[in-house]
Amino acid sequence: MTSVKINHISSLNEPYPSPSALDAATTTHVQGTFAIATRKLPILKSGPIDAMSARLGIPIPEMIFGDNLVSITHRPTGWSIQFNAEDALDRVDKTGEKMLRVAYAGEWSSSREKTSAGISEVVKPFDWSYTTDYCGTERPGSTGGAGAGGSEGEQEKKLHGDENTPDIPIELLKRRDPILFADEVVLYESELDDNGCSIVSVKLRVMEHRMLLLCRMFMRLDNVLVRVRDTRVYVDFDKEEVIREYTEREDMFENVKTKLFMQGLKLDQVTIVLRDANQVAPLLPLIKQGVESVILGPGISAKTITSRFPGQTQFPPQTQFVRPPPR
Amino acid sequence: MSDLDRAIAQLRACRPIPESDVRELCHKAREILIEEGNVVTVNAPVTVICGDIHGQFHDLMELFRVGGDPPDTNYLFMGDFVDRGFYSLETFLLLLCLKVRYPDRMTLIRGNHESRQITTVYGFYDECYRKYGSANVWRYCCDVFDYLALGAIVLGASNTISPSAGESSIPTTPEGDEVEIEVCNAQGEVMSRFPRPNNGTNNDLQSRTNGIPPPSNTGPPGSGASGSSRGTVGNPAGAVLCVHGGLSPLIDKVDKIRLLDRKQEVPHEGAMCDLLWSDPDEIDGWGLSPRGAGFLFGADIVKVFNHRNDLSLIARAHQLVMEGFKEMFDASIVTVWSAPNYCYRCGNVAALLELSEDDSGLGVLARSNGDVNRSDGGGGGLGDSEPQPMKGPARRYRVFQAAPQDSRGMPAKKPVADYFL
Repeated sequence: MTSVKINHISSLNEPYPSPSALDAATTTHVQGTFAIATRKLPILKSGPIDAMSARLGIPIPEMIFGDNLVSITHRPTGWSIQFNAEDALDRVDKTGEKMLRVAYAGEWSSSREKTSAGISEVVKPFDWSYTTDYCGTERPGSTGGAGAGGSEGEQEKKLHGDENTPDIPIELLKRRDPILFADEVVLYESELDDNGCSIVSVKLRVMEHRMLLLCRMFMRLDNVLVRVRDTRVYVDFDKEEVIREYTEREDMFENVKTKLFMQGLKLDQVTIVLRDANQVAPLLPLIKQGVESVILGPGISAKTITSRFPGQTQFPPQTQFVRPPPR
Repeated sequence: MSDLDRAIAQLRACRPIPESDVRELCHKAREILIEEGNVVTVNAPVTVICGDIHGQFHDLMELFRVGGDPPDTNYLFMGDFVDRGFYSLETFLLLLCLKVRYPDRMTLIRGNHESRQITTVYGFYDECYRKYGSANVWRYCCDVFDYLALGAIVLGASNTISPSAGESSIPTTPEGDEVEIEVCNAQGEVMSRFPRPNNGTNNDLQSRTNGIPPPSNTGPPGSGASGSSRGTVGNPAGAVLCVHGGLSPLIDKVDKIRLLDRKQEVPHEGAMCDLLWSDPDEIDGWGLSPRGAGFLFGADIVKVFNHRNDLSLIARAHQLVMEGFKEMFDASIVTVWSAPNYCYRCGNVAALLELSEDDSGLGVLARSNGDVNRSDGGGGGLGDSEPQPMKGPARRYRVFQAAPQDSRGMPAKKPVADYFL
């Protein structure tokens, strides 16, 4: 009934545009004072992968959509939030401190002790599950005009959180308002060497008065662990307000499996459900949550920022604001 | 057998064959595969080496179009036929039918996805269940997996590139140098040509193998057998070892692969696991994957292994490479990837590796099918006492993209307006 504008690269017959043709692969939708852009291109070639790996200091997941991009820009102030693969990977633990081990690692290494003595050095330890707490790359806006990100003396507009920060109005989002623009953009994906999957993807839907973006990291390490990290960005086009919510959910693989069995699913169905983050996420206990917001419109410029985390610029913060899961 | 031809025709149309036919096919396939050694010997009158397919049936059809139809072209598939794509069943059964129909023209080796455990997680099991309403077909296929060879050795590949379509003489680079690598597009047009480094001398090769003792045997390449008067000298390009993943610290000679008991589910331990799972990496020696299981191996490991086994090249699959192929470690190992637009969303190109027949007449001495004394007789004019450093075969990579949408016929994934929260 409504014409949904979908990024043309969604077509099954991919046109393989060259990365230099970034603009051609970008779809921009303007709603009110906001511009929403998505870009989808093939995975990176070897050269750009090596370069990114050198910049980040970790191996890059095999499916790396390094040219893909989702951005929301408030045109009057130049405030923007964008989602890209490199910034997401930059927040993966690069030390190996949070390193997981595959389910059969014990079996594997004990069977090798005699035969492969001498091979004990772990190559480039890092969090190979590519777990990231990335919740977007924000560029502050300035009251002085578009673009410049806040020069001296001007008030910077950026996301902040405190106890007065509003929640994302879920009820408004449940309404079936016509969707004017929708897209889904994968940033990176790894098969964890056939031990599960790790994927970061961004989807968004734009309605007349509001939009919702969900950046979800889904990591399933078979027979070990299941993780979901969600960043939701809500924009009220009328109030010119942005709310960002970040949640972490996580549980042991076995617990998730048990829950699915208790729902009456058979083993085959459980395997299929475990591939679908949308079905798995609600089963996982909430372990961290935080909300921030910013009002970008001119009307309330004096008191624009509400904050649950005063003084914090990095989000998610080191000490997380934790509260019981909704509902 | 006309039944088999009918099955091939039906599968080529991407239509599954009845369960009873699958059972019979798998039975026949097992009878053929059980006769094959763990390392199959393949001779190279134009051998096309392919990497992962992953159930992308329509892209396999594109591969056949680009590489030439079987049995006119001699194919070697390095495993991972199933999982992830929508047509693992049709893909594997077609390859199996072709194997049974043309056993000498089709070589299938095992990938890490040819396993019960992996296929239950990554799609093949579900697909079989969905298409047949039971797990029987999956079980038949898994029984075949256990009989697939673990590797292959390609003999008799030429070190000069054969003329491309429309060319009458052996091509050279614009500078007139001998071509070692040629990259063609799906239409067979030459995209680029690379000369052999230090053309005419073996300096680079000698420096590669510096400090490594010469091979102690002169048997057929890769076999470790001795007793042949000429050994590998008569074969201008060294042999190519094909394996899905890579090397194992437990395997220093190809002969040791031949001794494994392969007729089992892919284990989590031992050399068989390594061959299907390990990866080359920019390290010295051997290393452990940060995942806690799996080996990584460096350039020195490959070079020593190749030298010790009279190999000039290891071809492997297992890892997605955006350009379809990736040569590493001074071209001593190459990764070949044959699933374009992987998972229907990566937008990568795929490649196949084509080796030409050695037309000097020297390659023929490696043609007999046995594993020992293969290189007796027909020595040709080369000196026979000096162990020659292995000159890599000339390699033609044919790069291709995913099949066009029309012929792909995959279940339409319509982007619907999703009211996600």
